[in-house]
Amino acid sequence: MKNPKVLILRAAGTNCELETAGAFRAVGGAPELVHIAEIKAGKKKLMDYAVLAIPGGFSYGDDVGAGKVLANQIRHTLTDLRQFVRLGRPVIGICNGFQALVKAGILPHSNACDQTASFTFNDSGKFEARWTHLRLNTQSSCLFFKGLPEMIELPVAHGEGKLVLKSPRQLEDLKKNKSIALQYVTEDGKLMGYPHNPNGSIFNIAGLTNPEGNVLGLMPHPERFVEIHQHPNWTRQTYRKQAVGLEMFKNAVAHAR
Amino acid sequence: MSAPAAAPAAFGVLDKSPKELRALGDARHLSLNDAEWAAVQAHFKGLKREPTLAEVETIAQTWSEHCKHKTFTSPIRLTEGKKTRVIKNLFEETIVAATAAVKKSWCLSVFEDNAGVVAFGKKWALAFKAETHNHPSALEPYGGAETGVGGVVRDVLGCGLGAKPVLNTDVFCFGRPDYAGPLPEGAHHPSRTLRGVVAGVRDYGNRMGIPTAGGGIWFDDDYRLNPLVFVGTVGIMPQWAVAKDVKAGDLIVAVGGRTGRDGLHGATFSSANLGADAPSSAVQIGHAINEKRVLDAILRARDKKLYRSVTDCGAGGFSSAVGELGATCGARVRLEAAPLKAADLQGWEIWLSESQERMVLAVPPKNLKALEAVFAAEGCELAVIGEFTGAGRLEVTHRDESVVQLDMKFLHKGLPRVERAATWSAPVSSKASGGVEKKAPLVLREMVAHLNVCSREWVIRQYDHEVQGGTVIKPLQGVRHDGPGDACVIWPYAATGDMQDYAGFSVAHGLNPDYGRLDPYWMALACVDEALRNLTCVGADPARAALLDNFCWASPEDPKQLGALVRAAEGCRDAGKGYLAPFISGKDSLYNQSKDEKGRALPIPGTLLISALAPVPDVRKAVTMDFKGPGNALYLIGRTNDELGGSLYHRILGRSGGEVPKANPACALDGFKALHAAINRGLVLAAHDLSEGGLAVTAAEMGFSGEFGARLDLDELARDPRIYSNETLLFSESPSRILVEVKPEDEGAFLRHFGKGAKAACVRRVGQTTANPILKVVGLDGSTVLEESLRELKEAWQKTLPAVLK
Amino acid sequence: MSVRPMPVASHLIEVRLRPEFADAEGAAALQLLQAQGLTSIKEARVSRLYRIQGPITANQVQQAAKDLLCDPVTQEHRVVAPVPAPLNGMNFWRVEVWLKPTVTDPVGETVRTAIADMGLPRPDSARCAFVYRLAGRAGKPALEKAVTRCLANPLIHDAVVSEAHP
Repeated sequence: MKNPKVLILRAAGTNCELETAGAFRAVGGAPELVHIAEIKAGKKKLMDYAVLAIPGGFSYGDDVGAGKVLANQIRHTLTDLRQFVRLGRPVIGICNGFQALVKAGILPHSNACDQTASFTFNDSGKFEARWTHLRLNTQSSCLFFKGLPEMIELPVAHGEGKLVLKSPRQLEDLKKNKSIALQYVTEDGKLMGYPHNPNGSIFNIAGLTNPEGNVLGLMPHPERFVEIHQHPNWTRQTYRKQAVGLEMFKNAVAHAR
Repeated sequence: MSAPAAAPAAFGVLDKSPKELRALGDARHLSLNDAEWAAVQAHFKGLKREPTLAEVETIAQTWSEHCKHKTFTSPIRLTEGKKTRVIKNLFEETIVAATAAVKKSWCLSVFEDNAGVVAFGKKWALAFKAETHNHPSALEPYGGAETGVGGVVRDVLGCGLGAKPVLNTDVFCFGRPDYAGPLPEGAHHPSRTLRGVVAGVRDYGNRMGIPTAGGGIWFDDDYRLNPLVFVGTVGIMPQWAVAKDVKAGDLIVAVGGRTGRDGLHGATFSSANLGADAPSSAVQIGHAINEKRVLDAILRARDKKLYRSVTDCGAGGFSSAVGELGATCGARVRLEAAPLKAADLQGWEIWLSESQERMVLAVPPKNLKALEAVFAAEGCELAVIGEFTGAGRLEVTHRDESVVQLDMKFLHKGLPRVERAATWSAPVSSKASGGVEKKAPLVLREMVAHLNVCSREWVIRQYDHEVQGGTVIKPLQGVRHDGPGDACVIWPYAATGDMQDYAGFSVAHGLNPDYGRLDPYWMALACVDEALRNLTCVGADPARAALLDNFCWASPEDPKQLGALVRAAEGCRDAGKGYLAPFISGKDSLYNQSKDEKGRALPIPGTLLISALAPVPDVRKAVTMDFKGPGNALYLIGRTNDELGGSLYHRILGRSGGEVPKANPACALDGFKALHAAINRGLVLAAHDLSEGGLAVTAAEMGFSGEFGARLDLDELARDPRIYSNETLLFSESPSRILVEVKPEDEGAFLRHFGKGAKAACVRRVGQTTANPILKVVGLDGSTVLEESLRELKEAWQKTLPAVLK
Repeated sequence: MSVRPMPVASHLIEVRLRPEFADAEGAAALQLLQAQGLTSIKEARVSRLYRIQGPITANQVQQAAKDLLCDPVTQEHRVVAPVPAPLNGMNFWRVEVWLKPTVTDPVGETVRTAIADMGLPRPDSARCAFVYRLAGRAGKPALEKAVTRCLANPLIHDAVVSEAHP
């Protein structure tokens, strides 16, 4: 079968595109780096691709707010993104890509594409680069998580990663429609504060999905754990043997086939 | 003071006396000395005209310490006791001589380009450069550090036909952040400098997506007015892109940021406390995303082979970038074509502005259209500002006005060499004296909490040290990812696109100004040794190490300072030869001294940073420094001598003098190579080098990072038989030593790598790991010298930096 | 230099974090000020102030503020009157830290381009300042001194300290 085409969206300041493309290539995807200006100019069309990935970085310097300018461009340029999502094609936004998806109103899902969540500075007041323990929501239908264990580890690296919601009631909705994809936890799976929750996100949320499960936005970087030697403890004998990040890309590509 | 409103077309120098010229130079921040002024006068007398301001500025910039390294390349008359000798060219006779002597075929470009280049496998090459940005960081820590990172990244991007940056490393020297003494008006407190510099490196590196995964910080109050900020970058490029060349007829294309008045020295500097040493560049704020646009566009254009040469606009702006590229053929520039930040810039301002994020390409005219398309796609500005000629002249115009008409030969070869005097006298007594005795456990507790030893996690976590996904050995190591690694290992698969190729590389540093206070020669050897042993510890090949030298010194006009500098350079020469490691690039920053609150000159201690780069043949064989389990054997490689001069032990006791650590390169290299072979065979569980604080600190760090204890027996150490003191054995800083953890069943195979006889004598089993996280040390007489909880030591080690930065 | 037929409009927009959200930037600034001896300052909140100049109307600036500069969930924005009324009491302070006109303002450049990308007229210039809103008694000279020691560098910044409404 043909390798599914993956659109890796670039903008000024995107900086995780190569490793994200590498991950898709490693699992049989056909990634293509596409600058948002090429879509604006009509040279490339989102609907020609089977998967959309918005990688990490500092789009437009995160000036004004993390991912904000990119989110505006997505609203104005990727006008067929909602249709792309409705067709069930996989969309993943990592770190800055997640921030852009939230500010573009794609996550959490809302019928009118209203922005109902956002990000503020980490509670620590600092950029934080560290590995985190995460618990996947086994109730969610997120297609990226198929076959993954409930407890995984991935690195985060961000300064504005604290997820906040427009209203506290929203949290119940997110729980109800299984939109909370993954949470920061301790090694034994408990919800705890800093440094386990590296940014102070509400309910330790590290990633969101839509009720259908084909859109995933997450602050941790799965593309940085596609090989076991990227784990901080690989020189010890006690690490988990599976590079779980790679599995997420594998699931996306398998779904698209 | 802002820049003067109108620059006269002619700038009268022909009839001026040396004194008047000096005054003129001071007023305009031109760093020309009397002999150089005389050469300028003579040249223009021959031309029968006055120079323009832009011409004088261009000459001053081209001949500056920053661009020409006058001190290192001019004759020096060195007096040592009663002997006097003349060094014709210190750089050629030390750094270059060492590289020539070791003749390594994998050096692809040394000292020529913006960075040194070594082969990385058959297809790839690594470009490596470290720069300093000291003065700007003293004045504006955040902007200075940011633009420093931006500058060194452009060096690598402007090396060959452009290398993709895959690693940033940063080494800082600051005053103590809890310094409570007086400071002169206008000087920033060291804690502000630290915060600002860290934030600048963080924001620029993180935004550009380059992992900042290596480096170090040294605290000493003599840096309080002159902090040192070393920024380094490694880039990767295909080997075909190493060579560059410019042909007559190629277009001069300026890309990236716009040119503005922000990049003019003098415009932003008036209130600064600078003393006589004029700043070499202006204080600016960086624009990392603009540089990322330039990077993305240049690498795409490189792969389409759209240009023939590239260089960055650093100090001197267009004047030095175009001057360099056109040095052999000549260049014609029309300044009105350059994109500007403000429309009212004058010709000389455009020509000399050091605005950030700009680069210059040499483009065959037929490629221009394609190049424009690439840059437009990235939203990156581009302008043709002239062409390279075959006339051997630098011709610059602005609208209808001639700005510069200079002969390239005069510009690049006309610098008069002035002989400088230097003196060196060996330290009178090497006997240690003064201070108060303290018990070993107390010393160790103070050591792990000492600013020069304590955890750097507060800094490291702010750097995105894993972007690009290739940081397989991270700066923080151990069970809880917080132990002090010797070096990082980078697997550049994202840049090469090849996940099946497990070749990687590592970068490490050596720096210790306290040794230099005793003898800069031995400091240089110790620095090279430290960098190489750090590399060896993580699994890099010590026989393939390439070195960068970065000298930061006070005024070379002081013969004593210059003598010490010569001594350090000669140490570099002997270290390069002794460790068979070539220097591939380097930098010097002089005049690092300022007036303190009482008007006295406060020079920095002579500081040498050695940065070393070496391949890791297979990153899956790399090793971290944390203990891996109980019951494993601990081997110490290297001999322990009574070398406490300049040590942390002396600093903590308040003691001075003593024997400075003296490295023996041949012996050291044998040990490193043997260990490397053992690591490659998978026989080593953990390795960690011995540096500040000696064996005690190293064992403690390995223990608390791995959460296992250790029992050491000092009587087992390979040592100078004249040592009778447990403290000396515990805290001596003899170089070339590494503590290694080996599985009991692998001990035989491990030892076989060290051969027989004298070679084998340097490796000894000195103890074993234990399940209980306690460091226990048995002294020469069999009694327990030390029995410390590693949990408590770790707590002390982690507390210091966050506490002083509260 | 070309002659402009119309006076150039200048707009000041302040974007604040809504009070219900914790302000990590403000907490960090507060810590720095207190370390300078200003222990009487009890709270600091940080907002962004944009000065937008050029052929752009007040309504268009409002639209840019709403859709670009301000986050609809966490932030609120307002147009700032150019001259704040003087107050007495010394209990609330406002510190504006601007980059000097000769210094590059990367955020301002991004904003300028992003406004044009929205289909609005491209401003001639956009500059961004940090505003520190402080609560607590302080003397103006002491506050000014502390600001130059930890929040602004006179070499590249213009800092304006004034009394403010709560």
